[in-house]
Amino acid sequence: MSTHTATNMKAVPPPIGEAPTPWKVFARVASTIWSNGKARIGIIILGTFILLALLAPLIAPYGASENGFPRSTDASPEHWLGTTAAGEDVLSQLLWGSQISIFVGLVAGLLSTVIAVLVGLSWGYVRGFGADVINFVVNLFLVIPGLPLMIVIAAYLSGGGIGMIIVVVVITGWAWGARVLRSQTQSLRSRDFVTAAVFSGERPFRIVFREILPNMTSLIVGNFFGAATAAILAEAGLEYLGLGDTTIVSWGTMLFWAQNSNALLTGQWALLFAPGLCIALLATSLTLINFGVDGISNPRLREGAKK
Amino acid sequence: MTSHGTEKLLEVLDLSVDYGYGTEATHAVRTVSFSLEHGEFVGLVGESGSGKSTLGFALTGLSKPPAHVTGGRVLLDGVDIASLDAGDLRHQRHGGIAMVLQSGMNALNPVRSIRNHFIDIFKAHGHVARDNWHARAEELVGKVELPKQVLDRFPGELSGGMRQRVSIALALSLEPKLMVFDEPTTALDVLVQHAVMNTIIELQKKERFTAVLISHDLGIVLESAQRVMVMHEGEIVEDGSASDILNNPKDDYTRMLLSHYADPRAEVVELPGFEDRSARTAAGKPRAAAATHAPTVSSRERRTDQKAMVVSNVSKVYPAPRRGESPVTAVDDVSFTLEPGEALALVGASGSGKSTIAKLITAVEKPSSGSIRFGDIDVASLRRSRFRQLHSDVQMVFQDPYAALNPLHTVEYTLTRPVVNFTGLHGQDARRRVLELLDTVGLSPVEEFAAKLPHQLSGGQRQRVVIARALASNPQMIIADEPVSMLDVSLRAGVLALLEDLREQWGVSLLYITHDLLSARVVTDNIMVLNKGRVVESGNTADVLRNPQDEYTVRLLDAIPNPGRKGAA
Repeated sequence: MSTHTATNMKAVPPPIGEAPTPWKVFARVASTIWSNGKARIGIIILGTFILLALLAPLIAPYGASENGFPRSTDASPEHWLGTTAAGEDVLSQLLWGSQISIFVGLVAGLLSTVIAVLVGLSWGYVRGFGADVINFVVNLFLVIPGLPLMIVIAAYLSGGGIGMIIVVVVITGWAWGARVLRSQTQSLRSRDFVTAAVFSGERPFRIVFREILPNMTSLIVGNFFGAATAAILAEAGLEYLGLGDTTIVSWGTMLFWAQNSNALLTGQWALLFAPGLCIALLATSLTLINFGVDGISNPRLREGAKK
Repeated sequence: MTSHGTEKLLEVLDLSVDYGYGTEATHAVRTVSFSLEHGEFVGLVGESGSGKSTLGFALTGLSKPPAHVTGGRVLLDGVDIASLDAGDLRHQRHGGIAMVLQSGMNALNPVRSIRNHFIDIFKAHGHVARDNWHARAEELVGKVELPKQVLDRFPGELSGGMRQRVSIALALSLEPKLMVFDEPTTALDVLVQHAVMNTIIELQKKERFTAVLISHDLGIVLESAQRVMVMHEGEIVEDGSASDILNNPKDDYTRMLLSHYADPRAEVVELPGFEDRSARTAAGKPRAAAATHAPTVSSRERRTDQKAMVVSNVSKVYPAPRRGESPVTAVDDVSFTLEPGEALALVGASGSGKSTIAKLITAVEKPSSGSIRFGDIDVASLRRSRFRQLHSDVQMVFQDPYAALNPLHTVEYTLTRPVVNFTGLHGQDARRRVLELLDTVGLSPVEEFAAKLPHQLSGGQRQRVVIARALASNPQMIIADEPVSMLDVSLRAGVLALLEDLREQWGVSLLYITHDLLSARVVTDNIMVLNKGRVVESGNTADVLRNPQDEYTVRLLDAIPNPGRKGAA
């Protein structure tokens, strides 16, 4: 029988309008995220970091590995955040290092989201033996503790630089997203429009990626921001442990060298504090943006929406 | 009508309710005024979007954003409901207004026993002495014709009908003067609907509260209420006694609604756009084509290589839902043949196995035993990779047009896919075919409809798109699973007429699955009545419905609300 609730009142046929163009859809999504206070703060922070990373060659006072300065000095007009034990300018390192952190975060986040989408959607759609096999593999990745696995893989692939870090982060980071996307796929696959696509003669591949996938865009975007956050933290963690290429300048290696030179004991708090704060802020900004993305997938979570 | 004289219980003065603000506001209720006397049973009827539920919520002070009252007053015993704050409003729930919702049966807390639901209310209002709690709870469930054992059950252990009865008893526990029933039986099965409605009517007679019954179904309202208000686009277009509305409707809209009701048992059944079927077949003339856009047949001739769907001794057993329970037999030894061009109705209450049969003959599910053949295709053992072969001839129209279209694809994309997959047309040829299909189902201007997304279409238009998609492969057989049950009464005839025209002009055979015997009577030649997976009766539709042999068929027929019955009795 007819589903008749108060919401049906809004089901008055809308006036004839043009189908929204992709650009309009994007503008609407962006304005929804922007309308969320937390997400706005997140976007501003992330935007600032990206801007600083891009402008690093212009605004950094010195080169990242320029080490001809007095060693281990405190903040001064020449070196706003002081210098390292090797005689490098900390502010310059911070600015140059942001390039690596943001790059690794976005690329590793993107790659692990792509894997999560591919695995999660096919896992949710297939039934029987195939699903069991995927289930086994995903569970394997889920139950192995993340950090030890990362360390083992990183040690095995030692000396690979940024590329190696990205590979390690992706291998250990895709499984959770795949699990979430699989549940949503399972709930969507029982919807009538999916059955209707079978009746339209569609192949399973097309059903999964043209019918089901677009209906979970916001979930995937949310998953991307979550994965990027995890990637940034994992990258910093691995490099701090000295598992990456310690010759490149990134926030993680800055922490590694600061720890090596006992920065805290010598009173050079900026060496640890500045990169640590930047990592925390960048991770926070992505998490804050996710609040806004939640508002798209679940309109009831929209804060500050018109009452 | 009432023994309480002219004293008014509820007065509504120029009430208006909007959704949204400013220029985007939807005026759901527009300056409505009426009054209710003590002990009256009033029906409020209208189609979806008419504002009837919004009005019901405004009466009880339960309007939620974005709905908000923009003007007018609701006076209960002379007190303006809008002037009460949340605390006062909660107080007046005792001895004031109670509401029973369509989904009231889902409003029970699954981890608390029914008894605790009653005790929660007694505690909150303190109107029943502690010693008296259990006796009062037993009395209340007794009033809605439930045994007192249900008090110790949990909501999950009760059927939908029983839970809806419990929610009525809960509403009653505060001794309301006014009860608002918002589609109280719509979510229930046909047979249960009838029983719950009878309970409500009896209860109102005994308890003498004032009742407002909100429903989309004029039949139910006319059968139960003394006075009926008809709502259309936010306004009350007619307000009169049930017999006046039935015998002497004044408003065109009321007349239109009434014209869609008929008794499926009558000798001659006619609906707008449909002449009586037996008369029509006898005379060999097609359906009166004036009512809807007649399909264009340019793109295809009547099929000559017709195949029949032969179902023999099919059973489907699902494994036990829980350990220790017995397996569920959804379909039990069913056989039938659907000849080319035939229209067969499959009727039964929910759980009778009719939708399972649809899944079996479309190869979505495999039968446990028996055989299904369509031409030379063995449907029962069809592999997934060969579905296209079957689906190019057998297509399906879904029950819920809101769920059957992908919300993100335009109508053109939705229709292009089966055209490309089944007919091998591409590019401009495929597009021409899509526009032709839209024209066939009466959606013109075709170019404009092709570009639309589902949310820009009404329910009836969506269902036409679903039918167009089913036609894209030039099928020989269409399975329509309750194709009109989600649609408003005034849209139903149009969709049914479309199916009928297609069948007549294209020679498509139709398996029409429904619980609505009236629509089965107007669009099908033959009927099969299913009960618990078994065929209890079959034969010519008109014969079976006019002269039912099985007791179950009789019960189904009795459950149909019939506005004329009360007047005739």
